[in-house]
Parts: sequence; structure tokens; C-alpha cells
Amino acid sequence: MRRRTLLTAVTLAALVRPMTAIRPALAARPQGLILPDRPKPLPPLMIGDGEGEPVPLRSLPGRLIVLNLWASWCLPCLTELPALDRAKAALAAEGIAVVALSLDRLGRSAVLASYAKLKIRHLDVALDVGREAGTVLAAPSLPTTLLIDRHGNEVARYVGAAEWDGAAAVALLRALAAGESPNGIPAPPPMRTILL
Amino acid sequence: MVWLGDTGKDGLMMMSRWGVAAIGLGALLLASPLATAADERISGRFILESVAGLPVMDDVYEGKVRMITFGYTYCPDICPTTLATMAATLDKLGAEADQVAPIFITIDPERDTGPHLKEYLAAFHPQLIGLTGKPAFVAGAARSYKVAYRKNPPTDGDPAHYTMDHSAGIYIMGRDGRFLAKALHDSSVEALTAKVRAALR
Repeated sequence: MRRRTLLTAVTLAALVRPMTAIRPALAARPQGLILPDRPKPLPPLMIGDGEGEPVPLRSLPGRLIVLNLWASWCLPCLTELPALDRAKAALAAEGIAVVALSLDRLGRSAVLASYAKLKIRHLDVALDVGREAGTVLAAPSLPTTLLIDRHGNEVARYVGAAEWDGAAAVALLRALAAGESPNGIPAPPPMRTILL
Repeated sequence: MVWLGDTGKDGLMMMSRWGVAAIGLGALLLASPLATAADERISGRFILESVAGLPVMDDVYEGKVRMITFGYTYCPDICPTTLATMAATLDKLGAEADQVAPIFITIDPERDTGPHLKEYLAAFHPQLIGLTGKPAFVAGAARSYKVAYRKNPPTDGDPAHYTMDHSAGIYIMGRDGRFLAKALHDSSVEALTAKVRAALR
């Protein structure tokens, strides 16, 4: 049976030959909660606010940092931003920091326009000043959210939009902030993008 | 699930047997089953429409190095950062960017109308050129680049919420319009800049 599957596949691959095969673009890439085998040390990355001097990502305080990569042209990102805004307000007292890092080329003005449109009240402006976040953090799609422990290690990442202010997300963030293993904690549910 | 070697330079891809069968059929319909090695050449020819609705042929970019990618603007769950990488590459090229035509060809002309494309691309870089066209012409452009695409039915019952699968990557075409290189859709800005610079020499 397996061999037949393989033969069928090979035959069809030969038929596909003239075309570059359709890569189910990014849809087939892993989405949702991804846990690395071991905590991954964060590469150096500078974060700015468009006004003051940029600071290293590693210098941000917090027992846990929720680093969300987003952009104004990314609809799923805009869908999830209000949830991150609420999560920031709810979890700040526990030392859980939420940082929404914009990959927008236009920087602060693009961020402020999106914040105004979405009625964001708590998130600060955070800019990928070197325009390298996507590359150095190995995030070829947005939104991608990295969960970073107090030692500056990536302990989990979430690809796609999630309900960051929901019970599942809050439980996950609290466990990670306490240095507990995320294994066995249900992943936060994805958030549906509002299209058109 | 089966794993297949990609016929391009994209590495591996994965899809169901039925998915493979569907693509096989699609390829039969879209490409000549008697394709020879010569047919594998990426001609790069197209007749499309600008965001203003004017006809655009590939040779209007004669003399410029072209950086071309295919895609669509409605990302339902995640958005590829390919255009952001192209934008950062243009910035990195500095004055040399004047000699480059950065082009985004939509494979979803139904939703990616000229005005919509114009607004979307403006968020990335003012130099980005959006091209759309009648479905048959978009299909023709895709064939010229050996790009395959297909529409997936919506999962929520709303006919407007369909998604598209398509070949990813950035094509570097020389000043004479000839295919020079392909960069992966998740290339770094440095890697893409190096490829474009090499094409400019």
C-alpha cells in the first residue's frame, strides 16, 4: 500500500514536472503553538519607539515577554492586536510584558494610525528599527508571537493570531512566567481574521 | 500524507494524495503534457494591467533588473513577509534601487482590484508595482514563470473567504528580461540584496 502510494506520487510528480509545484504557500507551515526542544537564546535585536534611542530586546524587563511581530498591512495581526492590548493591561502587574513589535517600514506613524483605528490603549510603540526582526527571529510570516523567559530564551512561539486575553492563553503565560513547563497546557485558540 | 521533491528549487512540500492528484490534473490542463526541457525555461513574458487599469507588457521594464513575486493580498490566517523583504531590499540598494523594478503580480485578480492593490502595496514601499489583469492573462503570466496556483474553497461558507495556494519565491530577471535567479520567499534582506546587486552588475 505504501509502495503504491509512493508510485502514484512519483508518477504524478512526473506529470507536474513542467510546472513549479504549488507550495501550499505558507498554509502548510506549522501554525499555532510551537514549543522548541529546549529554550532558545534570543539573538540580539534592537527595538525603538521612533523617538528615543533604540534598546536591545534583551534589556526589556519582565518575568515573561510576549513579543508579537505584526504590521499594519497584515489583517490577522490587526484582528489580534486588541486582544494583546487587553492582555497587556491584565497581566502587567504579574510581570508579564506584552510588546507589539511593528515591522512597518513607515515606523511610528503607521503604528499610531493602526492603534487609533483599533482603539489600542495600553500597547507602546515598538519598532523593528534595523528591519531585521523577521530574519533574525526566523519569522517568515505574520503574526508570529515569541514567548521569552526572564533569561532571554524563547520558550514558545505562536504562529498566527490567537486569543491572547482568553483563559487558555493566560494560563499558558502564567505557567511560563513561573518557569513551569508549557507541556500539557492547552494551546490558546486561534482567532479568526475578519476579512473584507 | 506524502512527501514529494519539489520540481523547482523550493525544497520539499507536503500535501495529501488527493492534493497531489488535483495538482497533477491541473498541471495537465495548464501545461503541455509533452513539455520538453526547452519549455522549462522561464520566459518572463506577460501582458497584464497596472493598478490604474492600463495595459503593461514585461518589456516596459527593459533596462531594469526586475524583482518579481506572485501572490495575493488577502491573508486569512498568516501573511507572508515577502513584500516587506522586497521593500527592505529596495531601501538597502539605495540609489541603485532606481534601476530595479519591484513587481507584485496578483494571482487573485477577482479580489485584488487595481485600487485595492495600489493601497495595499503603498504600505510596503512607494516603488512597488502591482499588476493584475483578466484571469486568462494572469494565468498566462503565471505560466511564463512556471508559477502554479489554485483556489481553495472557503471553510466558513462565505464565498468571498476563499484562500489561494501558489508557488512562492522571488524571480530576479535581468535588464534584458531574461531569468537570472530565484530567491526563496523567506530569503533574508541580505541574500536578496546580493542577488539583485549581482543582476545589476
